[in-house]
Formats: sequence, C-alpha cells, structure tokens
Amino acid sequence: MPRYSHCAGVGVALLGALLSPASMAKPIAFAGGTTAMVEYGAGTMEEAQVFFAPTHRYSVGAGYLKLDSDVDGSERNIAYARANLLAKRWNLEAAQANVFAWGGAGGASGSDFSGGAFTGNAGAQADYETRRVYASLKTDLYDSSEFTHRIDTLQLGIAPYAHEYEELAVWLLVQGRTYTGNLYRGTEWAALLRVFKGSVWIEAGVTEDGNLQSMVMVNF
Amino acid sequence: MNYRKAISTILLLLLSTIGQAETIEVTVNGLVCGFCAQGIEKRLRRFPATVDVLVSLEQRLVAVSLNADTDISDANLTEALEGAGYAVKAIRRTETPIAVLREQVKAGRR
Repeated sequence: MPRYSHCAGVGVALLGALLSPASMAKPIAFAGGTTAMVEYGAGTMEEAQVFFAPTHRYSVGAGYLKLDSDVDGSERNIAYARANLLAKRWNLEAAQANVFAWGGAGGASGSDFSGGAFTGNAGAQADYETRRVYASLKTDLYDSSEFTHRIDTLQLGIAPYAHEYEELAVWLLVQGRTYTGNLYRGTEWAALLRVFKGSVWIEAGVTEDGNLQSMVMVNF
Repeated sequence: MNYRKAISTILLLLLSTIGQAETIEVTVNGLVCGFCAQGIEKRLRRFPATVDVLVSLEQRLVAVSLNADTDISDANLTEALEGAGYAVKAIRRTETPIAVLREQVKAGRR
C-alpha cells in the first residue's frame, strides 16, 4: 500500500469535498440536499461527516473518523472522501426500505505506526422503516497497510406514537455495535433516545459501560 | 354588437377559470419519516407557482397550492417528488384550499 503524510490524506479528503455518513439513518438525503453529522460513539469512535446529494441516488462528501482502542489504547485518525449509492429503494404504502453501498479513500495516522497510511473504505447498509418500527444493519470497513477495522452496527427501534410531518418524532432504540482490529471486545450495546423535528435530528443514550453515545444531524 | 362582445368576453373569462386547479394533491408512497421528507417541501417550494406545501405522513399526502393562473405540470411534480426519493401513486387537481386540507389532516378527517 502506498504511504503519504497525514496532511496529504486530509487534503485528499477535503478535495473530495463532500461526503456521506456511515452512522446516519440514511447516507443520502434528497436531490440537492446537504447533510452534516457529528457522532460521539462512547469513547471508542468519534466521527464528523458532510455530504451533498446531486440526486437522491448518490451523494459525495468527506469525513473524519477517530478511533480509540478500548483494548490497547491505540488511536487512529482517518480522513476520507466517500461516495454513497442508493442501490435499491422500496417505497411502500406505509414503509420504506433501502439498500445503500459506499466506497472511498483517504489517509490515516495512528499512535502505533509512524507517518500516514493510505486507507480504503467500503460499506453497506440495509434498513426498513415504518412510522412505528425501525431496523438497520450497517457494516463499515477501513483498510490500510497498518490496520483493518470493520464497524458493524445494528439498530432496532420503536416509536411510542406515529409522528406527523410537522410534529416532534420520538424513537426508542437499542444499538449493538462490534469493532474488529482490537478496538473493543465483544458487542457494545446502547439504549438510545432519538428525536427529530424539521431538519434537525438528535440521538443520545448510554452504553452498558455507562458511556455516552450521541449523534446530531442536520439537513439543509 | 359591442354589448354582445363584452358579454362574450366575460363569459370566456369565466369559463377559462372553471376547472383551474387551485391545489394539487399527490398520493405518495414511502412517506414514513418527517426528517427525510423535508426534501419534498424544499423541492416543491422552488417552483415559482407554489404558494404553500402540505405534507401528511398519515395520509400519504403531499399538497401544493398554486398562485392564480399558474401551474406545475404532472411531469415536473413527479420529477420533484421522485428526486426527493419517493414514489408518486396519484395526482389530483382540486379547488380545495390547502388550509382546509391542513385542518382536515389535523382533525384526522381525510
């Protein structure tokens, strides 16, 4: 794998200019829409992303991911550019289901290796949603000559009431997340409260270890 | 003669307004998330003809009220809604004011 400096990796990511979110409910918003997202993942991951969707079929953008190992204390800083594709959507009378796929590239630095490492990224997400039930399964892979990490996330949610368009939506979710590459042992479970209204989405909760898990997303 | 012409002109003007849509009501599939549906309102408000937009997840309804003597074609409407990521199932042109539709949706009467 070719290597280059961390600064160059960040530059590549910024040149990519716009991106999609692995942690979002959906990595593509709507044609002409821009989405920004920040996530604090219980001390194991922190991520910021911004993406623009020229059509509802794909989006492009950039992101930054920080990983802190719970196992050996090592750290990763990954900056990347990414493109997301809506592979398939089912618009049903009272439900929507989607399959997304994405791929990208960037640069990474780490506490246990010197210099920067070219990092490839690939992932996919399948989700199903009604106004009362939500389920999503996502896998996100980061691979370089220095490390390989895959983050798999399952979210299952129910809404106490079916929200209307202009009303506050409230969801209760259980999230299970696994990390490969010595980042976390076992599955990290979290209970989350998700609320959204208008163009603002907020998700917050706590993991079984007592750590904060939170995410804020804005569409504009 | 002039009197007849004036009456004809008035009749034609009146006839030309008959059947003119004040509101377009669209039945849409996939409307389950208010956050995701923001794109619908944003795209529809870009049309110069648009006065107001109503979205109802419960009713699978998207309604657009129009400026007088303006229109949005079915093709443009469909393109906008599909661009927002949804499936258009039916388009109806009515004269029901969008404020009335909004009240009906709130009251669960539709």
